[in-house]
Amino acid sequence: MAFVLTFLLRRLSQGIVIVLLVGFVIFSLLRIVPGDPVRIMVGPMATEEQVEQIAEELGLRDPLPVQFGRYLSDLARGDLGNSFIKATSGASVAGGRDDGSAARAQVLDLIVAAIPFSALLAGLGVLLALIFSIPLGIAAGLYPNGWIGRATFAISSVFVSLPNIWLGILLILIISVQLGWLPAIGYKGVAYAVLPAIVLAVELSAVIVRALASSVAATMQENFVQAGIVRGLTMRHMITHHVLRNSAIPMLNLFGAQLGGLLLGSLFVVEYIFNYPGLGLLTVNAVFQRDFPVIQGVAILTTAVLVLINILVDLISAGIDRRLQY
Amino acid sequence: MSGLSSQFWHSVNGRMLRAAWARPQFKVALVFLIALIALAVLLPMLSSVSATTISVRDRFAPPVLWEGGTASHLFGTDQLGRDLLLRSLIGLRNALVIGVVSVFGMFVLGALIGIISGYRGGIVDTVLMRITDAQMSIPVIILAITILGVSRPTPFSVILVLILAGWPTYARVIRSVTLTESRKEFVRAAKIIGAGPLRIMFRHIAPNILPPVAFIAVLDVARMMIFEAIFGFIGIGIQPPVPTFGNILADGTKYLINAWWITVVPGLFLFAALISLNLIGSALESARNDVLGGRNQ
Repeated sequence: MAFVLTFLLRRLSQGIVIVLLVGFVIFSLLRIVPGDPVRIMVGPMATEEQVEQIAEELGLRDPLPVQFGRYLSDLARGDLGNSFIKATSGASVAGGRDDGSAARAQVLDLIVAAIPFSALLAGLGVLLALIFSIPLGIAAGLYPNGWIGRATFAISSVFVSLPNIWLGILLILIISVQLGWLPAIGYKGVAYAVLPAIVLAVELSAVIVRALASSVAATMQENFVQAGIVRGLTMRHMITHHVLRNSAIPMLNLFGAQLGGLLLGSLFVVEYIFNYPGLGLLTVNAVFQRDFPVIQGVAILTTAVLVLINILVDLISAGIDRRLQY
Repeated sequence: MSGLSSQFWHSVNGRMLRAAWARPQFKVALVFLIALIALAVLLPMLSSVSATTISVRDRFAPPVLWEGGTASHLFGTDQLGRDLLLRSLIGLRNALVIGVVSVFGMFVLGALIGIISGYRGGIVDTVLMRITDAQMSIPVIILAITILGVSRPTPFSVILVLILAGWPTYARVIRSVTLTESRKEFVRAAKIIGAGPLRIMFRHIAPNILPPVAFIAVLDVARMMIFEAIFGFIGIGIQPPVPTFGNILADGTKYLINAWWITVVPGLFLFAALISLNLIGSALESARNDVLGGRNQ
């Protein structure tokens, strides 16, 4: 058990450094690029003095390290700051009068409100992808040169070549506009998550199916499979008890390193296409409105989640295979 | 065959290319891709109209096989009467250039960092690999929309963002190749003869890094083309009036119900290019396995 503890401590401290680093990079990037958020907040009619006054109040004219330090100490207390643009009521307060920071929504609240939508979409997408990929990937791994192996290769080649934006629009056009089977734009119930989830699932399946197939195929070549058969175990027993277990480790690593990023990236794009009110749409809109606190909050949060997923995956793989001790 | 080329065909890179060429999917996809590129380069040059010629009279013309389509616009026109075939081909050309240049950039950067990290080892290696880890934990799309969204996007900045997001994979793979290569006989022999570290890194180790990353690079060109389309679609890619897949698709969504072809046609061209790249990439991957033997490395 001591091993697990030192492992966790080391990886967590590394993870914190990574999150801080990413936070600082995004933080500085947002402040060196052209485009003054205060100008967008107060609108075109405000005078130069008013702009300076508000920037001063928000602390935007202090040196960068000072600003970042202040941000971190707020962050430690669970405060991600207030949105520059969004009001607590949900309406946009940009371009109007400044009614004090009290009226501006907490970034944390905005993120917390968006998470359930993104989680539903991501969960549904992963579920669909697994339902599709696991049987197909295992079958293709067992018979890599049979028709099922070839068909699986063809399907995953097509899936990986479908740009998610195009697939999303095609699904809207065919399923929603022409056939009228499912709603597409916005969110008024779980049905609105189905089409975007299909787009996610197609993207994930392309990667999962091929990785699973080659992992199973490689495990089938191992000596212990033949040894098990010679010792009188059935092929079915070998596959369900030994081959799949050994194939699971590369899959877990794939889930951590690659799929986490892939899922997050496509989530953002898909939410934008379908105008689905999750984290992605929140962020894309924040970028257009130069709403720095929201962008920073999402960047730090998502990086932290990715780092945590990676640590978790390493822990679980060490649990499955005791030889992998980090 | 001249001495130089026969030397090439027997090197590890030459053997990998021959193994790939032996696969039918590689040949078919390569020929198809070259034909597509030739079309994308030649047709806009030969055509009398340009991809940005606006012609209000011709707007919303469907493809030729549908009712109301004309032979002068085989794949129809968009909301401003611009020819969709030409726009798709120029979009393809732009996407390919962005994809190839950015992958080349991430390969060069990754190779530099990977070779130095793997060859020097020690503290240099630790620091460089920590940076690589950190970079890999940032989701590309967040980095991209932050940088491109708040600055004015140009082809150059799009390429820069893609390089920034993509180099760590190359650094990692090339580092591990360098680690195994630098323990081999011929590197030790070169050291004994008195070759310096720079000569060993770039003359002896560098030629062996291609097989493990060639397929990643080809697949990445396809991935980067998708990213370029996504950026254009969100409005943070190359800006109109330059046609890109992203901004044509974004236009198309506004007229989805009455003019589906504005979205469908460019997507078909992008899909055709992507699937041939992906087939070439996976043929190279199998070829690598044939040449190097074994799946990992």
